[in-house]
Amino acid sequence: MNGKVTDAWASGGLYRGMETVLVGRQPTDAFYIAQRICGVCPISHGHASTMGSEAALGIKIPNNARIIRNIIEGAETLHSHILWFYTLTALDYVDVVSALSANIADTYALAAAAGTSTADFGAIQKRLAGFVAGGQLSIFTNGYWGHPAMKLPAELNLIAVAHYLEALEMQAEAAQIIAIMGGKFPHFMTSLPGGSVWIPTEERLADIEFRWQNVSNWIMNTMIPDTLAIAPFYLDAAGYGKGVGNYLSWGVFDAPDFDPKKRTLPRGALIGGLNPSDPDPAKVKEYIDHSWYNSGDGLNPAQGETKAAFDAYSTDAKYSWVKAPRYDEKPMEVGPLSRMLVAYVAGNAKVKGLVDSTLATLSKAAGATLTPAVLMSLLGRVAARNLEAAYVAGEMGTWIGELVAAVKSGDSSYFVEATTDSGEGAGLWEAPRGALGHWVSVKGGKIDRYQVITPSTWDMSPRDAKGVRGPLEEALVGAPIADVTKPLEALRIVHSFDP
Amino acid sequence: MAQEARAEFTELLAARGVSRRDFLKYCGSVAALLGLSEMYAPQIASAIAAGSKLQPALWMAHGLCTGCTESMAQVGKPDVPTIVLDLLSVNYWETVMAAAGDQAEANVKATVDAGGFVLIIEGSVMTGFDGNAFRVAGRTGLAELEEIAPKALAVIAVGSCAVDGGWVAGNPNPAGATGVSAYLQLKNIKTPVINLPTCPVNPEWVVAILVDVLLEGKLADGTILNALDEKGRPKFIYGSTIHDNCPRRGHFENGEFVKFGSPTQAADEAAGWCLYQMGCKGPQTYTNCPLVRWNRKLSWCVESGSPCIGCGNADPRKADGSGNWVDADTPFLSRAANVRLPFIGGVQPSTIGAAVGGVAAVGLVVHGIASAAKGRVKGVPTETQKVYDAKKRGGDK
Repeated sequence: MNGKVTDAWASGGLYRGMETVLVGRQPTDAFYIAQRICGVCPISHGHASTMGSEAALGIKIPNNARIIRNIIEGAETLHSHILWFYTLTALDYVDVVSALSANIADTYALAAAAGTSTADFGAIQKRLAGFVAGGQLSIFTNGYWGHPAMKLPAELNLIAVAHYLEALEMQAEAAQIIAIMGGKFPHFMTSLPGGSVWIPTEERLADIEFRWQNVSNWIMNTMIPDTLAIAPFYLDAAGYGKGVGNYLSWGVFDAPDFDPKKRTLPRGALIGGLNPSDPDPAKVKEYIDHSWYNSGDGLNPAQGETKAAFDAYSTDAKYSWVKAPRYDEKPMEVGPLSRMLVAYVAGNAKVKGLVDSTLATLSKAAGATLTPAVLMSLLGRVAARNLEAAYVAGEMGTWIGELVAAVKSGDSSYFVEATTDSGEGAGLWEAPRGALGHWVSVKGGKIDRYQVITPSTWDMSPRDAKGVRGPLEEALVGAPIADVTKPLEALRIVHSFDP
Repeated sequence: MAQEARAEFTELLAARGVSRRDFLKYCGSVAALLGLSEMYAPQIASAIAAGSKLQPALWMAHGLCTGCTESMAQVGKPDVPTIVLDLLSVNYWETVMAAAGDQAEANVKATVDAGGFVLIIEGSVMTGFDGNAFRVAGRTGLAELEEIAPKALAVIAVGSCAVDGGWVAGNPNPAGATGVSAYLQLKNIKTPVINLPTCPVNPEWVVAILVDVLLEGKLADGTILNALDEKGRPKFIYGSTIHDNCPRRGHFENGEFVKFGSPTQAADEAAGWCLYQMGCKGPQTYTNCPLVRWNRKLSWCVESGSPCIGCGNADPRKADGSGNWVDADTPFLSRAANVRLPFIGGVQPSTIGAAVGGVAAVGLVVHGIASAAKGRVKGVPTETQKVYDAKKRGGDK
């Protein structure tokens, strides 16, 4: 019954009209409202909106505000990647029901061998058994349990279930860093155009550092070893799910001089493999040939339009609320894999170390030498996100140190006001799930055009004017499907883009 | 409670690896959440035990950003595993459930067919393009809602979007967003709706209401519904303004305000001065945020240095979504002019502190602001000069 996906269409089912709602409002309003595009990555949208307004109004923020934004953004990245791996996609690989038959002594032995953290595996198995015996499986109802593509031994399934529960705590602790600096999460309050209205105190810096330390340790001692323990059972995932093979990153985490090429995760484009170039935002165009809009085909977002017009759902004609963005007329994959590949090719030593050591581990498991090209796959997309969590966790320590030093030096500048009320600009940044752009035009203090291209617009793009598939659509084609009534392998690919 | 049900429940707890002691401790934290004394823990325990089965629930997505799901993931006690493993059987929850596609849709159908479930709605009801502004599982979200809602025990509308359309309904409301209660009324669906506005919803409130629903008979006998206000909100959450309970309130009384562009802005913020002059909507926003706080009681908006933007100012009675908080509160950082206080008349905030002492100012209600806002572009009439500040600090720059 083994088959393969022969074609795929990605349909975005929701239109809310944020770009239209923002027109006529003030740039400061846009910061608060635009982040509500996404409740999982509101920090990135808030920052991209604010940066777009700042670019439009010629505001250069104080150094303290730059560091604060990097820390908030970093905390969201850690939060998002933990939540994604354990809560969103782990159950595509981990069979919860199989964990019931794990031998507890063997589970501890396996955890020790894998170098991952232990928990009270016996108690967790007992809790799970009681839960299953109760007959109401709640969020686990009707999962693909016992599917032939589930390949982990029972003991590893139990370890992963234990860490699935821990991950819920750790994502919340990472989010608390945002709550300290931004009031709450999701949806934060403080990175207004002009800088930051949150002011660090010694006590609050200690609260942040404590949580960063806990989350970082957990990523290094649990999430990364789990990834390396699970991956050898799914090496086949290196053979499918590649997608378009073009990668874009606008770069994220600003350097002191605000040069996008010097960001901690740098700006870059890779077209047709690992061939780097510096992307030119003018080469971005959005197409609507297969999307429910009736005007504005092929426009750059700086001149973009949002004229919604539903007619009918048809994969031959229009089938999505998502537009089709293209860079230099090509579909681009965005996300951690793109960022890690761009940083790797740019020679970022820490990223290179993380990637190379992971490839060495996997090579041993595969009995063959794996090169970075193997990352252009489902396996690579999953691994890259977790490796990025490790990298960003490390960098956050540096930023926290920078902020402590700045506070000690007596630098009390956090906010500057705009001196003009008109202009055009773009906030090109990265959300955890990929390249994000907010294009903002302001006239007389009010927004007169607002356009957004989210990571999911890039990755979940429908076909363009030439009929070329978007990244998810392309990644699905050719995927093996063991059981067509339970297309688990396809679900893994969809989840790998973190929609 | 029948003896056998109690025995069955004790067995169930044991099977879940939960001791009787742990369970009572948990009931104590639930009591605290509901604003009850821990003395009520045994009563809550017996009420929950009477159920012995997990309460079925469906968490359905409409025009959402997933922020309310995210917010639920930040809840402290009881934590998420307790909620989804020991309290509720959440048979559909897009972001966190294991099932997908046909299997997930089958879960919905089985739950609806069995009845007796609580329906939680996140996101705006999308009426635009004949409901095609939101399509799920090959049909419109409206069709799904109309099929499921009549069979639910109650609907809990989580977050301002589900309550009245939220920001999605912001002028010109391009996708026809509205709230659950208005839409159900339009379709003559009588299922009671409990509204929990703010953007996102505070997870502690959701848990409090869910536990309340679980308490035997409290939904059926009307205890919960009778404690809702005219906007369908539980009064114990939405009964006083943010300003009433604000820790910065003393500085308001003293006329000590943080001000954009002031050379002492950072120092004034570090001193915790009042954010009223930055546009704070605390005086007209009815939620208990300063008390319950966010992210496991760690902080909240005003504590971080930003004025409240009034994200809980939803009005579900306006079926066209025009009651939404974004239109009511923008421009967020401008002060509304002609703030009218009941029994005082039009006064400027600097004089409020002097005119009415702390407790008397509890009546500071400024409904006038929201109703004055007709269309966002014209917006709320705002002050050109911040006169109250001029008195105190030598005028605006």
